[in-house]
Amino acid sequence: MVVESKLAPIRKGLLEFLVLKIVGSRSVYVPDILRRLAGTEFATQEGTLYPLLSKLRRENLVLYEWQESDVGPPRKYYRLTEAGQAQLTALDEYWSRINRTIADMGH
Amino acid sequence: MQRISVTVSLNGSTLQFQEQAYRRLELYMAEASRALEGDPDQQEILGDLERAVADQCTRRMSPQQAVVTLAELEPALDEIGPVQVPGAAAAAAQTMREPTRTLQQVSEGAVISGVCQGLARYFGLDVTLLRIFAVLLVLLSGGGMILVYLALMLLLPYAPLEPGGQPIRRIPAKCREWVELLRAKLNLATG
Repeated sequence: MVVESKLAPIRKGLLEFLVLKIVGSRSVYVPDILRRLAGTEFATQEGTLYPLLSKLRRENLVLYEWQESDVGPPRKYYRLTEAGQAQLTALDEYWSRINRTIADMGH
Repeated sequence: MQRISVTVSLNGSTLQFQEQAYRRLELYMAEASRALEGDPDQQEILGDLERAVADQCTRRMSPQQAVVTLAELEPALDEIGPVQVPGAAAAAAQTMREPTRTLQQVSEGAVISGVCQGLARYFGLDVTLLRIFAVLLVLLSGGGMILVYLALMLLLPYAPLEPGGQPIRRIPAKCREWVELLRAKLNLATG
């Protein structure tokens, strides 16, 4: 519990990175993202996700298109833009570098 | 006489809501709208949330059910969760640690709406002493102080709730709900 709360701000900050990763794997809609994160350390809710996706869209990292659904009204499907793809690659590399730094520290 | 249900248009879906459930939804949307104040996509995100509410409620209704009640809405809103703007959580945590030098009502541990607690915190006074003083003033003023209390209750902002803080009693919770709903309506009316 103590450990979890110490890293809480980092987890919060990493959510954006994880959402980019999920959106980068294939075109998804919000319940897909929620399901992918559920049960992990990064489980989240629509109240958090929609404002985050809007921010990513404003930063031109993701875009969405409407797709008809068999049940109910059309849904927003999100995917990465080229800029989003580039940022995801950069984030991935940076994250690996951080992990190596942490692993090497104290040896 | 009583209104039985309200027809609500939720960004493309039309649903019938029981009056009580409708008021709960109105409160959630008012809070969401306030949390998204200043966000360039405020309207779009509110639309996304309406759609999520419609989806979540429909999924929880039985096939014969025509009207959404609190029994569907409460768990639906729990699952959607409060609106959190990216980056705001860190900022909120930052401001919480600094002593607030603004006059605010404090709901946790309040008796009526939290005005006395807010005044006590602001002026660094003992809240019990302040409450006794307030009751005396009400008696001496022949009730005139009640109007002053009501005015403060409507005008003073509420201090943000502390996560994991002590629970709020029924009356302060009702007061807060009522005042925030009223403010949201006034906001809508004045644009």
